[in-house]
Amino acid sequence: MSDNWTALETDLLVVGGGVAGTMAAIPALEAGLKVVICEKGKVLDHCGSIGCGVDHYLTVMDTGPEWDTPEFLIKHVPELTDYIVDLEVAGRVIHEMPRIFRKIESFGVDFKDRRTGDYYRLRSLGLPGTYHINFDGTDFKKHIGERVRKGKATVLMRTMVVQLLVEDNRAYGAIAFNFRTGEWYAIRAKAVVLAAGDVNRISQNASGLAFDSWHFPYNTGDAQAMGYHAGAALANMESVEATLTPKGFSCQGLNALVSLGAYFVNRQGDRFMFKYDKKGENARRAVIADAAINEYLLGNGPVYLDCRHLPQEMLDRMEYTLQVDRYTLPAFYRQKGVNFREELVEISISELSIRRSGVYFRGSGLAVDVNAETSVEGLFAAGDCATVSGGISGAAVLGHIAGEGVVRRVRETTGLLPSISAQEVEAARSQARSHLNQRDGSSWKEFENAIRQIVTDYVGVRRAGPGLKLALSALQALSRREPALAADDLHGLMRVHEAKNIRMNAEIMATASLARKETRTGSSHLRLDYPATDDANWRRFVVVRRGEGGPKMNTLPTDQPLAAAFGRRAAVLT
Amino acid sequence: MPTFAVHNPIAIDAEKCVRCDLCDWICPGDLIYHEEGNKEKLPVVAYPDECWYCGMCQSICPVNAITVVFPEQMVRNQTDVVTLLGKIVES
Repeated sequence: MSDNWTALETDLLVVGGGVAGTMAAIPALEAGLKVVICEKGKVLDHCGSIGCGVDHYLTVMDTGPEWDTPEFLIKHVPELTDYIVDLEVAGRVIHEMPRIFRKIESFGVDFKDRRTGDYYRLRSLGLPGTYHINFDGTDFKKHIGERVRKGKATVLMRTMVVQLLVEDNRAYGAIAFNFRTGEWYAIRAKAVVLAAGDVNRISQNASGLAFDSWHFPYNTGDAQAMGYHAGAALANMESVEATLTPKGFSCQGLNALVSLGAYFVNRQGDRFMFKYDKKGENARRAVIADAAINEYLLGNGPVYLDCRHLPQEMLDRMEYTLQVDRYTLPAFYRQKGVNFREELVEISISELSIRRSGVYFRGSGLAVDVNAETSVEGLFAAGDCATVSGGISGAAVLGHIAGEGVVRRVRETTGLLPSISAQEVEAARSQARSHLNQRDGSSWKEFENAIRQIVTDYVGVRRAGPGLKLALSALQALSRREPALAADDLHGLMRVHEAKNIRMNAEIMATASLARKETRTGSSHLRLDYPATDDANWRRFVVVRRGEGGPKMNTLPTDQPLAAAFGRRAAVLT
Repeated sequence: MPTFAVHNPIAIDAEKCVRCDLCDWICPGDLIYHEEGNKEKLPVVAYPDECWYCGMCQSICPVNAITVVFPEQMVRNQTDVVTLLGKIVES
């Protein structure tokens, strides 16, 4: 590791170069701001959760019918989120959807079906209209990445941000390191956008391989953990998300399967989804996962995917679509020797993500206002690490809103930002050196396995007070092992930081889960000791912030935006 | 849960590989290392147990030298799904 560190000055620092981060950079670049992006991947065109491609995009398009207007969708949002939603922020996101959709089209993304030349819009996952455009999004990210590169942002690749710089509840930059070269950066910025995605590697899956996850395993709640340490408020962290995956391979594709007409059957061959929701396989993801979990617990497992009834044309489309979402899925089926067109495919419940709990517009993460600014001034969040999230389009729209919010915040910034404290940078580097110098230290892999076991057993899809308390004390005990975690090399140092972030998120999740004394959205937050949904007392957000000895929680009624409790001046929305 | 030896998820055909840097360049997990411009050495899968099985290395390889190979515990998985669904603690 070199002894020097590089000091950078910028208007905007973006943490994470996925859809939300790149979309946040665009309006800032258009306004002539200086932008630095830190990204753990190596190439902006392919990094983030959908670097490999995406097969659907949710949007209202305002094409005429009532269901296609923002107002119609917004009206359904409370019901879609089981009434735990920041309607002010979700409303702005939905209102901006048509504008941002057209803007992305102008970047060269082709959302149209090549055969018909029109949009192929499907209804799925419980939404009240055909809002999902099914398309070949192999190059979706490439077009957005290109836009940012052309805008001349400084992109620091294979670079992990490890700490935010905050003074008097105002963010002014961050400390980062390149895990290929060992170069350290102290970046002073007038605004920071956190867009580092959801939290994965947090619970066990069928294969037992930590990195075999439905969602991107390199998203480890870095933004949520750093935001927490910087004093930002987080909400909905008790809500988790699981999906159904082919057993042994946690991969995407549920949306394509159900929207194209696949069935799920249990061991007896019963198509069981209708027992749980009148929409059957078209129910929300949270309901679908919950139904399968129940079938397994009732002894009706295994659960199978059944596509045998579908016409050839649908099967062709399904096969094509599935490999856009996960390139290797056909190879998995081939190697397994399964033909999903003619045979049942055994299904497992995936590991958990802290993400948006199987519903749209209720995110789990950093609480944001209508500008995507967190409770810390100058610190923004978008995508799956923010409290309003909605897949790719949610990330794109809130990301763009964050970028526009940054422009306003930077223009309002008067006076000098604090200067970078050499002491603070040296402290972060000395901690890193200590991980690299651990001769007899413990492995981050074992540390992570311990987190996953605790979460799976006690903070997973069936929770109760005693188990949650046990989990909290075990997770807190694990934190004491953190200083002794060993990094074999710079890459390992990056993983050590990730492992610590995963633990922090697990502790926040357990804290929030213990607080919410009810069950909401099925297994997204299922309390065995409070099995009913308690609308009289719990139409409230659980908000977690850093306290003296660890996470502290309070609750807020959902009839107000989360920002009502921020206690900082809001940027003026023009 | 049974333990398995570390499996190499990314098979690189040494005959076909042209030693470009694309697989190193595209891997989202920083698993594949190849010294830029070195036409002698093959890329190395440095952290095989951290693979997402996304196949981006395979899809970008200009000469089809890469095959993603799934391990046994993925293709012939024997885990009882109920063990993933939590434990009950009595107070």
